[in-house]
Amino acid sequence: MFLSKLREALICLRAGRVTLPYPFEPHDPVPGFRGKIVVDPDLCFGCGGCANVCPAGVILIQDSGQLTRRLEFHWARCTYCGRCAEVCPEGAILMSQQYETATNARGDMVLALEVFMGPCQRCGRCFPAPTPLERLLVQGFRSDHEGVRPGALVPEPPSMPATAGSGGNGGRQ
Amino acid sequence: MTSECYATQVLEALSERIGSGLREGRRLEPDLLWLQVDPEQIRPATRTVKEELGARFLITVGIDQRPQGRGYGIVHLFSFDSERLFVALGCAVDESNARIDSITPLIPGAGWAEREFQDMIGVTANGLPDPRRLVLPDDWPEGLHPLRRDFPYNYRPPSVEGVAPPPAEAPEGTSVLPMGPFFPVLEEPASFRLFVEGETVVGCDYRGFYNHRGIEKLGDSVLTYDKIPFIAERICGICGFIHSTCYCQAVEKAVELDVPRRAECIRSLMLELERIHSHLLWLGIAGHILGFDTVLMQTWRIREPVMWLTEMISGNRKTYGMNMVGGVRRDISPEAIPRIIEVVETVAQEIAEVRRAIAGDTTLLARTRGVGTLSEEKAREFCVVGPPARASGVPIDARLDHPYAAYDEFPPRLCTQEEGDTWARLLVRVDELEDSIRLMREIVSGLPEGPILAEVGEIPEGRVGVSAVEAPRGEAIHFVETGGEDRPYRWRVRAPTFPNLQAVPTMVAGQSIADVPITVGSLDPCFSCTERMEVVDLRDGRRKVYRRKELEELARNALGRGKGGRP
Repeated sequence: MFLSKLREALICLRAGRVTLPYPFEPHDPVPGFRGKIVVDPDLCFGCGGCANVCPAGVILIQDSGQLTRRLEFHWARCTYCGRCAEVCPEGAILMSQQYETATNARGDMVLALEVFMGPCQRCGRCFPAPTPLERLLVQGFRSDHEGVRPGALVPEPPSMPATAGSGGNGGRQ
Repeated sequence: MTSECYATQVLEALSERIGSGLREGRRLEPDLLWLQVDPEQIRPATRTVKEELGARFLITVGIDQRPQGRGYGIVHLFSFDSERLFVALGCAVDESNARIDSITPLIPGAGWAEREFQDMIGVTANGLPDPRRLVLPDDWPEGLHPLRRDFPYNYRPPSVEGVAPPPAEAPEGTSVLPMGPFFPVLEEPASFRLFVEGETVVGCDYRGFYNHRGIEKLGDSVLTYDKIPFIAERICGICGFIHSTCYCQAVEKAVELDVPRRAECIRSLMLELERIHSHLLWLGIAGHILGFDTVLMQTWRIREPVMWLTEMISGNRKTYGMNMVGGVRRDISPEAIPRIIEVVETVAQEIAEVRRAIAGDTTLLARTRGVGTLSEEKAREFCVVGPPARASGVPIDARLDHPYAAYDEFPPRLCTQEEGDTWARLLVRVDELEDSIRLMREIVSGLPEGPILAEVGEIPEGRVGVSAVEAPRGEAIHFVETGGEDRPYRWRVRAPTFPNLQAVPTMVAGQSIADVPITVGSLDPCFSCTERMEVVDLRDGRRKVYRRKELEELARNALGRGKGGRP
């Protein structure tokens, strides 16, 4: 009994202090950590692949009119799986190293992006420009999230065509 | 005997017993025998499989097959452990008369499974000893069964005030001691009503499932095959990788997909890492329950580098997001290997020290030896799995009985004890920890080169896959029936705590009240949520269950008085 208490005390003494002085000193995650998603508005061309694979249904797509497609990342529910970053053909989505995401403003948890699209000559709906050359032509019409008030244009998510439940027709309506 | 020969034997025995009642019998996968019998023959067939042939009951799957014109499918899953064979004993229940004979009189451990399909599919089990609701809330309308195909996944029936679960009748001469709705010390919600005689517990009644998340429903109505692994991972906060692996394997088995060897090894490696950190976590919690917080502090300190390791390998401490149908998404870089070995060796050394230290601790022994004893007979009766089963001398381990991932090449050691008490369960877990460390060393050194993700083509409809994975808490079972629209037709999950919790009344019987927390804690349970409080009036023994509104009212009034009448 006494011996076992001594052994226990020895384990504790040898371990010493192990807690980190976080938040007084920064604690960097390891490389490859999957933190908050970051979207590069210049690279996105609105294909909707990310919305198609998102398991949590966090990425919503809405076509407003014939020329603009609005992508919204409601990452309050994001599970940080990184599937969107994996499937993005342009590498526009990155899993950053940010993990300090607590906020008291809900709007901080929404990232909106409007992408200029080409209207289909037949049906009038918008679609991603098929070739890189055509993509070049429509650049410059994009606004990133700073210019758009989050949540301003969005109707209720369940009524939208490209939620997770729609079987993934986000990019091809 | 190979599983093939044995499957033939099972078929012969069944057709001899029930004759033409056996509608269909074929091997779907190398290790799955699919049997369809007449609904009237389900009990004799179960008797043959369970009592004559000695199968172990796993779980029941209820499937709504009305769109195919086959009524409701009830499939009892069994396992022949030493023969490495799963048996799915099913029948189609007529839509107009949705009743089936209960098998709980034969297998007490099937009680919850049958109560669950009564709730979710709406097939009544005739002769079920305890037919109360299990999963559905008490204010859920009658006749609404969420896992029927015509039930929308996002429908929420209006809540009703003033309903309470019908409590089990307390035995003669006992008083009721409510324990919960938050389980003491283990910060998880669970409500036990203990029937006590003085300080001694006679039995108990459990009501849980208040936080049922409906993940199975999401799986067959919203998600796609590739999305489910990430949601499956969230079934458990500790053994997430187990559930995603189990789901992926079930789909891979259903479509006979060969997973690259490297991916299988990475899965085994992650599963063992998860076992190491889960067992360390449990050791700490067990110490904490007993008021021995040195163990909590030290085992969790030892555990932390393992969490950093999983963060390095997968990109996160938990919910690794690594599994996909067909393999894994993230490879293990060659630079990570020395780090893995370093961490694992440190853990091995420190665990040996902790073991040496606590083995002679008389206080710990006094609180765990002979506490919460589960006999081998009862463990088999309630189909208990994992360390609680092995500590009672039931030699089952899904890694050996149904080898998956890379366990055919790296077999684990079967760690068993005979006593069946809390100390035996502790020893089993410490032994498994050490064995997991050995497995880690072997897997890391034998990691083959090659691809990590196989191409998955179109997944055909109507295939069935059953997969078992040995979680730290016991064996997890996933059943997948493939369907159209890129998602399963039915996805059934059985977590290891589901059978284990059913053994609690047996385990706490005869214990003193103070030993109940560690007895329940020694199962390493994952609870669901409940939100009620029960008050027993000592003067006349009347019971009153307070509901949320009443409690709020009570609290406000008390607060108001305390602060000089302010509302």
